[in-house]
Amino acid sequence: MVTKPAERPESTGGLIRTLLTNRFSSIVIAVLLSLAATWIVISVMGVEPVRVFSIMLNGSVGSVDAVTQLLQSWVPLVLASSGLLFTFTAGLWNIGMEGQIEMGAIFAYGAIHFLSGTPLSGPLVIIIATFSGMLGGALWAYLVGLLKNYGNVNEIFGGLGFNFIADAVLLFLVYGPWKPAGVAQGSTKMIESQYWLPQLPGSYLSLWALGAAIVGILIVAVVLKGTYFGLKLKAVGKNAKASFMMGIPTSRYMLLSFILCGLFAGLAGSIQVTGFLHVLRNSISGSYGYVGLMVGMLANYQPWVVVPISLVFTALSKGATGLGIDLRLDSNLSGVIQGLLVIFVLLMEGVRNRLSRGSKGISHG
Amino acid sequence: MDVELINIHKRFGKVHANNGISLTVKSGTVQGILGENGAGKSTLMKILSGFIQADSGDILLDGKKVTIHSPADSVKLGIGMLHQDPQDFPPMKVVDNLIIGSPMGLFPDRKKIIREFEELQKQFNFSISPETYVDTLTVGERQQLEILRLLWLGAEVLILDEPTTGISASQKDLLFATIRKLAAQGKAILFVSHKLDEVEALCSQVVVFRQGINMGSMTPPYQTDKLVEMMFGKSIVRSENVCEKQEDKSFEIEELRIDDVRLAIRDVNFCIQKGEVIGLAGMEGSGQALILRALAGILRPTGGHIYMIEGADGGRIDLAGKHYFTYRDHGIHFLPAARLEEGLIQGLSLAEHFALAEEQTGFMVDRDQVENLSKKRITDFNIHGTPESRIEELSGGNQQRAELALMRDPLRLLLLEHPTRGLDIESAMYIWGKLKQRCEDGASIVFISSDLDEVIHYSDRILVFYGGKVSPAFEASSVTIDMLGQLIGGKGWS
Amino acid sequence: MLLVGPYNDNGWSTATYEGGLYVQAQIPNTEFIYADNVNIASNPNTTAAQFAEQLLQRGAKVIIFNSDDMKDGVSEFSKAHPDVPVIWLSGDYAWKDGQRYQADLTNESDIMGEMEYGKMMAGCAAALTTKTGKIGFLGPLINDETRRLADAAFLGAKYCWENIAEQTTPLEFKVTWIGMWFNIPGVTLDPTQVADDFYTNGYDVVISGIDSTEAVVEANKFQGQGKEVYAVQYDYKDACKVAPKACLGVPYFNWGVALKPMIQSIIDGTYTRQFVWQGPDWKDINNADTSMVGFQKSDGLSADASTKLDQFISELAGGLNLWTGPMNYQDGTVFLKEGETATPQQIWYMPQLLEGMLGDSVAK
Ligand SMILES: Nc1ncnc2c1ncn2[C@@H]1O[C@H](COP(=O)(O)OP(=O)(O)OP(=O)(O)O)[C@@H](O)[C@H]1O
Ligand SMILES: [Mg+2]
Repeated sequence: MVTKPAERPESTGGLIRTLLTNRFSSIVIAVLLSLAATWIVISVMGVEPVRVFSIMLNGSVGSVDAVTQLLQSWVPLVLASSGLLFTFTAGLWNIGMEGQIEMGAIFAYGAIHFLSGTPLSGPLVIIIATFSGMLGGALWAYLVGLLKNYGNVNEIFGGLGFNFIADAVLLFLVYGPWKPAGVAQGSTKMIESQYWLPQLPGSYLSLWALGAAIVGILIVAVVLKGTYFGLKLKAVGKNAKASFMMGIPTSRYMLLSFILCGLFAGLAGSIQVTGFLHVLRNSISGSYGYVGLMVGMLANYQPWVVVPISLVFTALSKGATGLGIDLRLDSNLSGVIQGLLVIFVLLMEGVRNRLSRGSKGISHG
Repeated sequence: MDVELINIHKRFGKVHANNGISLTVKSGTVQGILGENGAGKSTLMKILSGFIQADSGDILLDGKKVTIHSPADSVKLGIGMLHQDPQDFPPMKVVDNLIIGSPMGLFPDRKKIIREFEELQKQFNFSISPETYVDTLTVGERQQLEILRLLWLGAEVLILDEPTTGISASQKDLLFATIRKLAAQGKAILFVSHKLDEVEALCSQVVVFRQGINMGSMTPPYQTDKLVEMMFGKSIVRSENVCEKQEDKSFEIEELRIDDVRLAIRDVNFCIQKGEVIGLAGMEGSGQALILRALAGILRPTGGHIYMIEGADGGRIDLAGKHYFTYRDHGIHFLPAARLEEGLIQGLSLAEHFALAEEQTGFMVDRDQVENLSKKRITDFNIHGTPESRIEELSGGNQQRAELALMRDPLRLLLLEHPTRGLDIESAMYIWGKLKQRCEDGASIVFISSDLDEVIHYSDRILVFYGGKVSPAFEASSVTIDMLGQLIGGKGWS
Repeated sequence: MLLVGPYNDNGWSTATYEGGLYVQAQIPNTEFIYADNVNIASNPNTTAAQFAEQLLQRGAKVIIFNSDDMKDGVSEFSKAHPDVPVIWLSGDYAWKDGQRYQADLTNESDIMGEMEYGKMMAGCAAALTTKTGKIGFLGPLINDETRRLADAAFLGAKYCWENIAEQTTPLEFKVTWIGMWFNIPGVTLDPTQVADDFYTNGYDVVISGIDSTEAVVEANKFQGQGKEVYAVQYDYKDACKVAPKACLGVPYFNWGVALKPMIQSIIDGTYTRQFVWQGPDWKDINNADTSMVGFQKSDGLSADASTKLDQFISELAGGLNLWTGPMNYQDGTVFLKEGETATPQQIWYMPQLLEGMLGDSVAK
């Protein structure tokens, strides 16, 4: 005969466990932890953390001007991050995003460079520049994909290589053929203002660029969540072999994901030229490709989550510029905060997987 | 060592996989654990071996309460588990496989380990060379290796989760002899299966699970009807051997050759008729799997033709050398045995699988349509799950059913690798019922199975493979189990 | 003020920063605020103009851009805020006779020092010190300004080598460009490495044209190994302090000298747009209140060379013009005919290195 043991009461340990295993609460915990860690870092630097946070808040959303700057910076990041969702979904790491953005900028600037002075109207040239930018980004991404598919080169190494080449091409152009008359200093001459994306008066924000970003993320969401293409891409990302068996041409899908990602990168690059800097210059990619990878990872590859996370990341880096002026702190502090955020989210992810291994882990039938 | 499980509960979301299960296994006995697919057998075994943790309940070893948090804990306590799905084996040597799993220090004594290994395997008449690479072993040999490894680590309790799927008849005999010997040495054995005959032949006591509940136990002499009733809540009768044969040909295989690193298959000739079921029998690695993959277009034959007959006038097209997708487009469907590697996609839901498997109807996925289709298939194939269940949340048997449910309609040729592996008898019969319906609609089936009963029972004709040689087709009705056993063992070939 | 580098780079940014502090100390009720690291590598997504907006928000009344690198920011910001006085250090938008004159930026002024003279002194000090007759020039990126300064250093060196040290063997003068004003790992050549190469290949004096201190730090290291090598620093008065014995001296800017009257005129309401290109106060080139450009000697300079350098400086003060023909560009085309002297435009917009110099005239 066996006696039935008493039911274990729901203890506080149980509550913590639930908090740690729920996706949402675990992200909240990660954010709190990274804030705490930042707090410690700042205190060690001998500065009042509250001031730091208030300056950052002020610098990112404290005024109309700050908000328009925030949105302006958000555009390329959200484009980069949403483009990366295609490759992430297909199980690929498009490290080459940086180079693809640069190529987009080069193509866009190139189009304007060759068309300025022709009778074509300003808007028409902008449209042509935007599309050639997208073409440039897509082309660069396509090359990485080709190398992966036919040369068996891992896309991470291929991407790094092509970043390097894009950098070299960019430097060559701005110091060489496209340098402004008389000087060579890492940036071309400004494009004529008729080729600028119209900006809100008194601000750097172009509603066209903002619109492009919103349409972009919508497209990504619809394609990934609602179409056969998105579903197949997801299948390829999760299990390429089984997907092939189910009749999906896996290498074609991987290539397509690169091309789509490159289109977004190119769009981001051309907006950097037509909507923001109005020149071609070195580092024009603004690290959006790398930050985009972090955003995509944190968003767990969900289009809707990309929107707030990319906003937070932009706010962090925008807010941090004021730190240098007011507190003489290195603005790279925002990079530290972003890094901490990523690390803690990934850490919590790990904890969550570990704790719920029993129920979500491998099932042996 | 005596094992006692008391009032074990385990829930996966809404599913109560183990609902207050208690079970005692005395040292020196073989405990059979029966139950239909999804009954909770593997769950209980994983709890005992530390792979997952129970929500509540106690585990006692020799009357002492223990806590098991990880597989390492259970190994320390002397519990070893052989999993239902073979674990990943990295490409390393047999000895190294032993060494990495052992708690020895930095500099293990290879010579000593090899000596111990050889002694151990002599006891059981195994013959695995310690210097071969693990990934070149057959499923049966890997299983033997795993048993030896667990014993070598000092296992006193051995859990075998459906160990007879995927191994040959002679390997099975050897396994049973081993189990008996281990019991005689005083080990406690837990033997999970849904094959009644095996359990009856081997076990000194049997328990039956249904929907997470222990339905009761039985000791010899066993009453099969009673056990079946306990498993399914009703008794069952074997259905009739179906599928009408039609005279018209559907495929002609001519002079097919395949060259594989380990095997050369020469001059295979046979035809496939509409509505016919052809069983391919043979010990694992005899060539039947290669032929099946060649017919599916996954493996490129080195010579010969695979003709598909088009229309009544006997016009035919040669598919040999064409792309796998061309085969698919012509209605040839392959169902791989490695479910989670080749057949299904972990992380995707059932509904997503159905959407992928069907003909694409437009650019956008029609959610409602997919939802309805999924619900229908789930009921049709009796899958325990919802459209939203992810594949890895299904039990082994239900994954198998899902794979079968993914087949499109209509099809010309179904190529099945172990179609009912992991299914209980009732589900297996049900699935075969479905397959036979396809035959009535004109599809043909070629399948391989290590279950000779299944081959004889469901085939119209049988091809036997031995070391790359292929026999002429036998009428299934004219073959007995014994004859087939002899043939696949290489005896009786002219 | 917007600083292109860190305020404590001991070079260009520190010199301009000190100019700001000078004005704050000299004119009552002024306050100096600044943002540093205003460059695309450190802050890729915030432009100079956006930084200027931030200073404006914090109450700034005058915006000073400290680098040629910020040219787009200068025009963008000036256009957006025609009522805010903008001062661009090293710029030329306000120069009516310049190539980049921008008539519509009505509130923008430029300030630059005639560093040619400082560089000539640097070249001279190097020529009077070298034993091997080989001088290295550690150049930043290549543009009109940097070619101008490299050429000036060469002219000063050549003059002192031939006329004061009275050497007859030809002087070797080699320019190596690293690609930026300071080291960016992976992007520029490593200036430490470049300086090393100079010293090991017999160039016993290196004139630094970059904003940081690698040349003198390396010289100090080589001196530690018993080699007699030196460096000439750039930009900032105290730049030699890192290693005084390895340093011959430093040509530097006193930005405050030109900034003070301009800021004062803004306060007084008498401000008008100007292009200021101001030279040393020849009465005392090291007078912090009057001399826009100076040369601070350091311990590495021998007493003999020091007197000879003073002699050279007094010749310059007396009207010696080294930009006098005949003179050819590096590719052999004529720059100045016999007896011809260069116009300010020719000097400012210098298209090439000069004949007799080794190194690239344009970026490859
Ligand atoms: N990781 C998991 N997540 C969610 N549900 C699970 C998980 N593992 C098992 N289940 C569910 O628990 C129940 C029992 O599963 P279990 O694997 O124990 O069945 P089984 O008796 O071994 O079946 P089979 O004979 O098909 O292998 C099933 O309904 C299954 O869907
Ligand atoms: Mg199971």
